Amino acid sequence: MRGHRAAAPRLPRVRARTTAIGAFVVLAAMVPAAVSAAGTQEADVTLPYVCRLPSGELPATVRVTADFPTAATAGKAFTPADVTTTVELPAEAVADLARGRASGVRAVTRLGVGIAQGESAAEATWRGTAPPAALPASGPLTLTATGDVPSVTARVDGALAFSARALDLDLALDTPDGTAADPAALTIGCSLAEDAPKRGLLATVQIEPDPEPPATGPASPAPSAPAPDTGTPGTPHSPDDQAGQNGQDGQGSRDDQEGRAPTVTERAPRGAATRRPDAPPCRYDERHPSTSASLDAYVTGYTNVRKLAGASLIPLSCALIEQGPTDIELFPDYSGGYLSQHSQGTLWYRGKPQTPPFQATFLTFGFVPTKATMVLEQTGPMTMDGKGETSFVTLFTKMETRVRVPLVLRVTALEVNGTPLDVGTGCRTRSPLRSEEPEPAKFPGDHLVLTGRSSHQPPALPVGYLLSSGGPLTGEVTIPAFTHCGGKGEDLDRLLTASVSGPGNYVKQMQGQTCAVQVFNPDQCTKDLQPLVIPVPER
Amino acid sequence: MKKHTRRLAVVAGAAAAAFGLTAGPASAAPSTVWTVTPTGSYTATNSGNIVLTATIPMTCTTSSASGTMSSATGNPATVATISAISFGTSASPCTSVLGNVSTVAVTPWTVVAQDYNASTGVTTGYVGNITANVSAGACKFTVTGKASGTYTNSSGVLAVNSVAGELVVSSNPAPVNCGTVVTTSTKPTFKGNYVIKSSNGTIPKIVGSNP
Repeated sequence: MRGHRAAAPRLPRVRARTTAIGAFVVLAAMVPAAVSAAGTQEADVTLPYVCRLPSGELPATVRVTADFPTAATAGKAFTPADVTTTVELPAEAVADLARGRASGVRAVTRLGVGIAQGESAAEATWRGTAPPAALPASGPLTLTATGDVPSVTARVDGALAFSARALDLDLALDTPDGTAADPAALTIGCSLAEDAPKRGLLATVQIEPDPEPPATGPASPAPSAPAPDTGTPGTPHSPDDQAGQNGQDGQGSRDDQEGRAPTVTERAPRGAATRRPDAPPCRYDERHPSTSASLDAYVTGYTNVRKLAGASLIPLSCALIEQGPTDIELFPDYSGGYLSQHSQGTLWYRGKPQTPPFQATFLTFGFVPTKATMVLEQTGPMTMDGKGETSFVTLFTKMETRVRVPLVLRVTALEVNGTPLDVGTGCRTRSPLRSEEPEPAKFPGDHLVLTGRSSHQPPALPVGYLLSSGGPLTGEVTIPAFTHCGGKGEDLDRLLTASVSGPGNYVKQMQGQTCAVQVFNPDQCTKDLQPLVIPVPER
Repeated sequence: MKKHTRRLAVVAGAAAAAFGLTAGPASAAPSTVWTVTPTGSYTATNSGNIVLTATIPMTCTTSSASGTMSSATGNPATVATISAISFGTSASPCTSVLGNVSTVAVTPWTVVAQDYNASTGVTTGYVGNITANVSAGACKFTVTGKASGTYTNSSGVLAVNSVAGELVVSSNPAPVNCGTVVTTSTKPTFKGNYVIKSSNGTIPKIVGSNP
C-alpha cells in the first residue's frame, strides 16, 4: 500500500496535503444562515413579571425575541423562528436558589403564549432550554433559553395576536461537587405583571384569506391514531380540544365557535415526519431481530475539535438498544431506594455497527474549500448504565446515565478544492476515542463516555436526560493518533495526528425518544417501527 | 431484592394510609340518596399537574376526562361514569426520569360516593373500576383498582388522592421488562385535581341525604 505514487505534480500535492489537515476532522459547515425571508418581523419585547420563589414574590424581567412572518394564509401553518426567552432574576432570587448549597443551575422555560384572533383564542407553550449557568455571587441571574416552538394555523383571515402569558421555570440545581442540591429541582411560576405594556403583546400576524378553502366537515384525527408518515398536522393540544376529542357527544354546539379558533401544533414529533426522508433507516431485521425489550433511537450532535477550534457534526445515527430491567435496592429505613438499570446496544447502519458516512466542508485558510468523508465505527458493545435514587417521602428522584461506546474514527475520503486526495483504505485512529473512565476496573479499555443526568421533583416535570426519551448526553474525549493514512506511498499519519489528535474535545449528543418496537406507541414509532422523533443537534 | 420490595410495600402502604383520605363512616347516618344537578354529560380538566407513582413518580401536565353524571341511591352509589380519560397528550406526555410514560385507560371508570358533609358540601368516595395500561420504554404493566378522592360542590374540584394499596399492578398480564421497580407487589398511586364542568358550563353539585 505504501508503494510509489503515480507521477503527480509535487508542489500542488504538498499544498493539498497541508490544506487537508484541517479538513480532516471537519468543521461542520457553519455558514451562517443570514438570509432573512421576505416578510419577516422580529419581535423583541421586554416584559415585567412577578415570580413566586420559596421566600416570596419577586419582580423579574423577561425578554422574548422571535421572528414572525408579517403575514400568513388562513389554513396554512407557520412557525415563529429563532425564539429566545431571556429571564433575569434579581439578586434576592439568586440568594434563594443558593440556599440549598446550589452553585449552578440548569433551566427549562415554559412560556405560555396566548394566540388570539377576534373572539377566538388558543394557547401554546413555548419551551426553551438554557445552557448550564453558575449562580452569580452578586447581582442578578440571567438565563437565556432557546427551543423550537409549535406551529400555528389560523382558520380565518384577520389579525392574529401573540401575547406572552404565564412563565414557568423548571430549575435543576447543582452543587460545586456535582451532587444534587437540596432541593435539587424547583419550578418557579411567574405571572405577567399587571403593568406589562400592551398586556404582553409580542407580535401581530396578518392572516390573509385562503384562496382555496378546504371542504368543511369534521376531520380531526383521533389522538391515538396520528398519521406520522403523511405530514398530517398533529393533534391540537389545547385543553378544550382535548376534552372535545374525549367527549362522547354534545360538543356540536361548541364546534362552530371553536372552528374559528387558531390551532396550535407541536413541532415534534409531528414536525419530524417531514424531516424523516433525511433520516437513515433505523429498524430491526433478520440479521438483528427484535425482542420484547428492543428499542431504537436516533442520536446526533456535535464534537468539538479543540485543535481546530471548531465543531464536527456527528450525523443522525441509529442506535438499537436492548433495554435492561430497572431495579431498586431499598434504603435500610425503607424511605426510598437506589435505582439501577443496565442496557446494551449498538450503532446500526446498513447492517454494520457504525454511523452513516458523513461529510463536512469548510474553508481551509479561509478560502480553500475542503471536504472530508468519515465514519465512526463501533469496535465493541455500547452499554448504558443508569444509577439513581428515589424518595418515597418527598418523591424526589434523580438518575445519572452513562453511555459507553468504543468508536474508531475512520477517514474514507478527502477532497481539496475539488481534487480528491488519496487517504488510502485504512486511514483511522490507532485506537478508539477515549474519555476519562470513572470506573476503569469495571469498564476497561478505551471508549467514549457520555453522561446524562435528570432530576424530578413532582409535581413539576423531570428535567434533563430521560433514559427512554432522550435528551443531552455530554462528555469529553481524546482523539488518538492516526494510522494507515495516505495511499500510494504518502504518509499522512503524523500530519493528521499533529493537527487533530489530542485531549479535551467536548462532545454533546442529543438522543431522541426511543421507539419500543414491541410496545408500539404512535407518538414514538413510525408504522414500520422506526423512531418517530428526530433529535436536533445542539451546541 | 424481591423480599425488600415486598417489605417496602407494607411500609409505603402504612405511611400513605396515614396521610391519605379514608372514606370512613360519617358521624351522621350515611347518605343513601344522591342528587346530582345537573345530570348528563360533563368534562373534567386537570388543575395543576397529576402525579402517578409506580415506585418512581411520573408527572402529567395534561389530563382530561369526560362522561355522564346521574343521581343515584344506595351507599356506596355510582354518581358518575368516566367514559374517557387521558393522561398526557402526544405533545405533552406524562414523564418520569425513565422517560415518557404512556397511560391508556380502559374505561368506563366510575365515580362512587360514600359520604357527604352537608356543612362543607364535600362528597367523599373514590374513582372506581380503574384499569390502565402503562408503558415506559419496553417496560409495560397494567394497573387496576380504585383511588380515593373528594368532590367539592363550591369549586367543582374532584381531588383524587389515592391511598397506597387501593391500586395494584396486575399479575395477568404481569409486568414485562420492568425489573424490580414495578412488580405485582408495587402499590401505585394517583394524585391530582380535576375541575368538573357540566355540558351547560355550570359546576355540577352532588348532594347526599338520608330521608
